[in-house]
Amino acid sequence: MKRLLIGLIASVAIFAAPAMAQEKKLKIGATTYGLNAEFMQLWSAALKEHPAVKSGDVELTVFDGRYDALVQQEQFNTMITQKFDAIIFVPMDVEAGAAAVQAAHDAGIPVVGSNARVNSDLLTSYVGSNDVLAGEMEAKAVLDKMGCKGNLVILEGPIGQSGQIQRLEGNQKALQACPDVKVLETQTANWSRAEAQTLMENWLTAHPGQINGVIGQNDEMALGAIEAIKAANLNVSDFAIAGVDGVTDAINAVKDGLMASVLQDGSAQAQGALDVAIKAVRPDYTPVSTVWTQYPDMKWNDGKDKDYLVPWTQVTTKNADKLLESRK
Amino acid sequence: MSLSDNKTTNGWFTSDSRRVIIQEYGIFFAFLLLSLILSVSNEYFLTSGNISNILLQTSINGVLAIGMTFVILTRGIDLSVGSVVALAGIVSGSLATTSATAGVFGAPYPAYLALVVGVLVGFACGTIVGIIVSRFAVPAFVATLGMLSAARGMTLIYGGGKPVPGLTPDFRWIGTGNILGVPMPVVILAVVFIVSWWVLNRTRFGRYIYAVGGNPHAAKTSGINVTRIRFIVYTISGSLSGLAGMMLSARTGSALPQAGVAYELDAIAAVVIGGTSLSGGVGRVTGTLIGALIIGVMNNGLDLLGIQSYYQQVLKGALIVGAVMLDQKRNHGQ
Repeated sequence: MKRLLIGLIASVAIFAAPAMAQEKKLKIGATTYGLNAEFMQLWSAALKEHPAVKSGDVELTVFDGRYDALVQQEQFNTMITQKFDAIIFVPMDVEAGAAAVQAAHDAGIPVVGSNARVNSDLLTSYVGSNDVLAGEMEAKAVLDKMGCKGNLVILEGPIGQSGQIQRLEGNQKALQACPDVKVLETQTANWSRAEAQTLMENWLTAHPGQINGVIGQNDEMALGAIEAIKAANLNVSDFAIAGVDGVTDAINAVKDGLMASVLQDGSAQAQGALDVAIKAVRPDYTPVSTVWTQYPDMKWNDGKDKDYLVPWTQVTTKNADKLLESRK
Repeated sequence: MSLSDNKTTNGWFTSDSRRVIIQEYGIFFAFLLLSLILSVSNEYFLTSGNISNILLQTSINGVLAIGMTFVILTRGIDLSVGSVVALAGIVSGSLATTSATAGVFGAPYPAYLALVVGVLVGFACGTIVGIIVSRFAVPAFVATLGMLSAARGMTLIYGGGKPVPGLTPDFRWIGTGNILGVPMPVVILAVVFIVSWWVLNRTRFGRYIYAVGGNPHAAKTSGINVTRIRFIVYTISGSLSGLAGMMLSARTGSALPQAGVAYELDAIAAVVIGGTSLSGGVGRVTGTLIGALIIGVMNNGLDLLGIQSYYQQVLKGALIVGAVMLDQKRNHGQ
């Protein structure tokens, strides 16, 4: 209910300025797991900035899934009834999303996954990033700073979400290279900065002077840990801290030398997914977004690949300002 | 809750105030017992650093729960506190940020201005709810459920769903600063508690609140402006929610639109554990403070012992229900 307003606004505000279209306009819908947090907003904003939407070639509707797998399923039904040409899907739930994909598939509508995984082999394609790799990269950044020895703690996402499962797998993969490092605590702070702050305050008490590193499975939680360390009058630079996503606050913290972060390029995920979706409907389409030139490692391959993995970018003091500039 | 309590109080107080004292001591005893168990099981529990942590982690819920006590004493409920926390946080944050994109025109403004505006935002939400409940006789559950949804929506509209980073150090002082070594949020909680205790126990307005909650018809007949009292308690809860919202954003360093989700539940839990009756008229703000401390101590202790947060939720649920069961039994026993 509380997200209804935002959902309405989001879905109404999408209709881009109509322009001369040489072919029949494509009707493409996107359902996101929820539009309340910064990351998904960057994602949907990028979708609306896609050249094909701007030119009026594609009529785009973005739905707010309101963090509910059932809501997303209803939105699929709406899009099927209204005969959308293609659907872009950012699922709330790995398993529950599969039924929705099945329904669209039965109606002959191609579904392109983006950002989060769904357990279905009926997806036309998936354009996202490899969370296992992100987990490995951030853990490696922490372990490198610790010199592969000492103790660390892990702040996890909500247990069972694909991001938590895969990033933890990556964390553990990196930890195997450092058998001397001891993991003192592994707990969920539900992606939340405030929860992570409380947890870290209590851990600093339970393990005084023993924690050398903090792996936050997202930036928000890593930032919460930083606040807890500051509040305990400890020196943040004595800790190795890393997060994932590259949210604005985290980029600033990287600039200040407080943490490491890897940027998840939501814009590229969104725009790439739309290119693949258009291609699924129009066989002669060539991609018009800049994603494919920006990441030459991610090959277009005629839009036929099952998986398109947008590379992660390590946020550094060098590229921080440029990244912040692009947010404005 | 023990024999000795009865002995020492016998003859000293009226039976009514004796029951209240037993209630307060009962919950205080439970608090001591919990603390004792945790001190024995973890060597760091009783260190000054950890006690400071517990108070810090209790401060926001404590402030919300004290506001909630005023409302519940009049037989009301305020489900909107969590959403008001977010709204006040984001509006005051947009005044006190150095970020060029997230701030309003001319930001950063001085911290005191942002603080006043934040409390006013909470006051405004409380005013709306108060009018709806007192003048239009809409059940508090419904009116505040509406505000829970509306205030969250306004938060997202106002900030475009984005966090407000880069709060000024002056503003953050209410979350991270200290006075003579006592963290500011704890100082704020202490001030809010003392003022509320005084209002509820030493002023006519306080007695009216108990009277309205105890028996609204009798209160009305005896000349109390029930509508006005009902209105005011929601503005108190709203203003304190606004204050708590700023304590939260000052502590985390950013005002987040998702802040405060489900905070109303912890606030209500603290009030109920503290022995305030949901049917109004009975309860003490001291009990609420101890109720909030029990929740804080439990969360902190279980973290220290390395117990999964899922168990914490189960234990908190059991504690809430257990506290009310004890309360019922005791009241029947009298």
